[in-house]
Amino acid sequence: MSTEARALTRQDRPVAARARSRGRPPSSPLEEFEQVYLRNVDVLMGYFARRCRDPHTVADLTSETFVRAMDGFARFDPRRGSDRAWLFGIAAHVFARHCEQSAGGRDAVARLGGHRTLGMDEIEELAERIDAEREGAALMQRCARLPSVERAAIELVDLDGLSPKEAAQALGVSGVAFRKRLSRARSRLRKEHESND
Amino acid sequence: MTKFADNLWIDLAREHGAALAHADRPGPGRARRPRPRVLAGSTLALAGAGAALGVALTAGASTPAFAVTMTGHGSVLVTISQTQALPQANAKLTAMGIHEQITIDMASGAAAVSGAVTCTPAPGVSGPPVKVLIGTNGTEVISSGNTGAGTWHLAACQITGDNGSGNSGNTGAG
Repeated sequence: MSTEARALTRQDRPVAARARSRGRPPSSPLEEFEQVYLRNVDVLMGYFARRCRDPHTVADLTSETFVRAMDGFARFDPRRGSDRAWLFGIAAHVFARHCEQSAGGRDAVARLGGHRTLGMDEIEELAERIDAEREGAALMQRCARLPSVERAAIELVDLDGLSPKEAAQALGVSGVAFRKRLSRARSRLRKEHESND
Repeated sequence: MTKFADNLWIDLAREHGAALAHADRPGPGRARRPRPRVLAGSTLALAGAGAALGVALTAGASTPAFAVTMTGHGSVLVTISQTQALPQANAKLTAMGIHEQITIDMASGAAAVSGAVTCTPAPGVSGPPVKVLIGTNGTEVISSGNTGAGTWHLAACQITGDNGSGNSGNTGAG
């Protein structure tokens, strides 16, 4: 294990906190990834909290997303798209896999996420987060009748705060095609809302 | 940052940080280590009519249109307008965190059945199912005067890991 990795232990939180507060450019891929993590962990937790009612599942899927991201970070090229778009692409894949495996009755997450034990305070935090995402989950239910690509467009831009360009990258579609989907989805939702009034 | 996020980072760094600490990263100001090139797709000489051509494209050529889409069932649909777009699509898979690369076999003539072809995973590859659609209906027409002029369809495709495993032995390798 490297010195950097060894330095980050649960018993040594102040070291990690100091590393984050320095504000200098990252000196290694690990530090670079830490910045990516800090920028995105909260929004990815929200993404899973809208989909799952169980804090452990939210924790597992968030963990699995970052484990995969860390494994693939050496190949991630920021010149080709933002880290957020890249992470949301992974998150969508992780969630699809989770649904597939849950349907088959198999354990969904077998790596770090599946082995992590959460403290009570972490469970409470995640439960609060799930609660906070209720409004977003309700919006997603209203979108249930939209085609999946339009639903994803609404969620990524209006709930997760991705730019249309980032969302297009996360979904693997062109910017033009994405903007059309987003506009069509918003228009359908508006019409549905008006017809319900 | 929440306690969960804080603890998760500590665990990630402890369990996976060592491998990443000295990795070679692409990005501004950093030289990117070139990936091994198996074949440059656009300069291939196609085999005679009726013969199948094994194409292993992992890098090179630029642009024609492609799309990589996650379906609601957890599978991946890769649509490419021309076979030349395959390297871009493979790069996109990597960028999306899907550690799989596509190798395709084209055969002459129009596709007997229109639509996407399901790829066969190489031994040891356990990622999501991948389907490939060439053009709008599975057939690519290369106009006269270009290399490989004629009508081609996707006869088969295979998925390998993105570390290049399984790519040796393809037609034209060397």
